[in-house]
Amino acid sequence: MNQGGTTKHYAVVLADGSFFVWRINMPENDVIIHIEGLGKIYDKGKETEVTALDGVALDIKRGEIFGIIGLSGAGKSTLVRCINLLERPSSGKVTVDGEELTDMDPAQLREARRKIGMIFQDFNLLEQSTALENVCFPLRISGVSRKEAEEKAVGLLNRVGLGDRTGSYPSQLSGGQKQRVAIARALASGPEVLLCDEAVSALDPTTTNQILDLLQEINRELGVTIVMITHEMKVIEKICSRVAIIADSHIVESGSVSDVFRNPKTEAAKKLILPSGGVEPFDGSGRLLRLVFDGTTTDKPIVANMVLSCGEPVSIVAADTKQIDGKTFGQLIIQLPSGSGSAERMMAYLDSEHISYTEETDV
Amino acid sequence: MFSSKFIGLVLTGFFETIYMTAVASLLSYVIGLPLGVFLSVSRPEGISPKPALNRSFGTIVNLLRSVPFVILLVAAIPLTRFILGTSVGSSATIVPLVIASFPLVARSVEASASSVRHGVIEAAQSMGATDMQIITRVILPEAVPSLITGAASSLITVLGFSAMAGVCGGGGLGSIVINYGYYRGETGIMYVLIVVLVLMVQAIQEAGARLSVKSDKNSKNSE
Ligand SMILES: Nc1ncnc2c1ncn2[C@@H]1O[C@H](COP(=O)(O)OP(=O)(O)OP(=O)(O)O)[C@@H](O)[C@H]1O
Ligand SMILES: [Mg+2]
Repeated sequence: MNQGGTTKHYAVVLADGSFFVWRINMPENDVIIHIEGLGKIYDKGKETEVTALDGVALDIKRGEIFGIIGLSGAGKSTLVRCINLLERPSSGKVTVDGEELTDMDPAQLREARRKIGMIFQDFNLLEQSTALENVCFPLRISGVSRKEAEEKAVGLLNRVGLGDRTGSYPSQLSGGQKQRVAIARALASGPEVLLCDEAVSALDPTTTNQILDLLQEINRELGVTIVMITHEMKVIEKICSRVAIIADSHIVESGSVSDVFRNPKTEAAKKLILPSGGVEPFDGSGRLLRLVFDGTTTDKPIVANMVLSCGEPVSIVAADTKQIDGKTFGQLIIQLPSGSGSAERMMAYLDSEHISYTEETDV
Repeated sequence: MFSSKFIGLVLTGFFETIYMTAVASLLSYVIGLPLGVFLSVSRPEGISPKPALNRSFGTIVNLLRSVPFVILLVAAIPLTRFILGTSVGSSATIVPLVIASFPLVARSVEASASSVRHGVIEAAQSMGATDMQIITRVILPEAVPSLITGAASSLITVLGFSAMAGVCGGGGLGSIVINYGYYRGETGIMYVLIVVLVLMVQAIQEAGARLSVKSDKNSKNSE
């Protein structure tokens, strides 16, 4: 998994053909996208003001895959569209690669956008143009000759696995293929950043995985920083190194995916990580515990051992395990027996096994 | 009835009608296409909102559209005289035809341009396209099938107008119908000419529909 920093290779080739290459580790804290005090108020008419973002601050590091997750209407799309100023923020500052976009005139902004690729949930390809023409588009509008643009576009389409479909129109491609064309198009101008707004939400699980793999490869090979907007935890788990949770126009929590996942602090985070779907305590009296496995202990039958050693049953209210950073993490919500002392005994057992847990007041 | 004189008459009328329709449509698009694109992009939700200008041009277009063609035909006579030195004949008819048609063309182009999916335009904006590049490389190419359909109906409307212009010495099939069918009561000739006009409309409609489908890469019917 990506650790945030990247390694850059610098090469000098001398006239006699010999060359030197050296690697420079970019510092961990090299921020490529800096957002502060970001606010967006939609002002449809006078009466219906909608606050879509409020006081959002975010630092995204160069070379990482950063996830932004939230429920529908939380403001995810608005946030990502404020990064390349497709949506003009009502307040706050957006800086990408050292340039403050919120401070630019339209011409400077267009120039800056060429370094920020974007892909969308519904692909947004030119329907009347072939895959090749679509990928050529960003090159042609920046003045690259047709021949040169086509050469580069063919290379990119090969890279995304569509080398044999250059002449196909979007209507002749599947959803996954269309998103591959869109990715190739977004990469054509050699961006530093790739913004993805629900890029896999319209795709089936298998295709989703393929597209996520492709994005991860691109991140590793080209060092492109990726911002993934999604409402699905599994997308975050699969490829993101860090995540921010957005709820009700605010970033309520952010950090490394494993930290946020292991120890969700806010209601919004808990809802996303382990959707409870209205789980109710079975008899309304037993205490609820959220157990978190950190990948080192899941091969032990913790719950079974606990039940055996304490001699009382527990109810499993919700369960989920995931792969993060190549390790297995598990989440379990159990309801403890209401009998006197048994809950305490079980918690003591968990402590002795070094299982972290939190007591749930409201799942 | 079908003397060679008659056939010559019909042929002349036929070609005059084609000439008027073609030239008037062409000129209507010279004005109407950019105007229609402007009306679309300057909408509040367009890529370059210009509410005041949009409303002004929109009002002019609406006013022109609400004048019945027969009245426009008469009202345009002084202007036609001023431009061409005459107000009779098929060339002279082109002036009122253009005045009547370009607003229709503009609205039709506006509708086609506005039907382009906003997401596609947004994608272009995210790539740093200028408004002009979005018009020429996104909106117009994406709207081609719809523009072709619109052009076919505009052409048919202009053809209809040109026939109506026969009332004021406009030339073409319309004036033959008026002169022979109405003033001389030769209904046979009139029906022949009606058939010719109907066939012309059918031909335009059919050609437009086929071209539109053929050009549309987003439909299953295209190759
Ligand atoms: N153009 C707009 N005009 C007015 N309100 C808007 C506009 N776009 C978004 N909103 C509002 O802003 C809020 C945030 O919307 P946004 O699209 O950012 O949510 P989201 O998190 O992307 O949701 P989803 O997962 O459904 O895409 C919503 O309340 C929405 O209704
Ligand atoms: Mg959204």
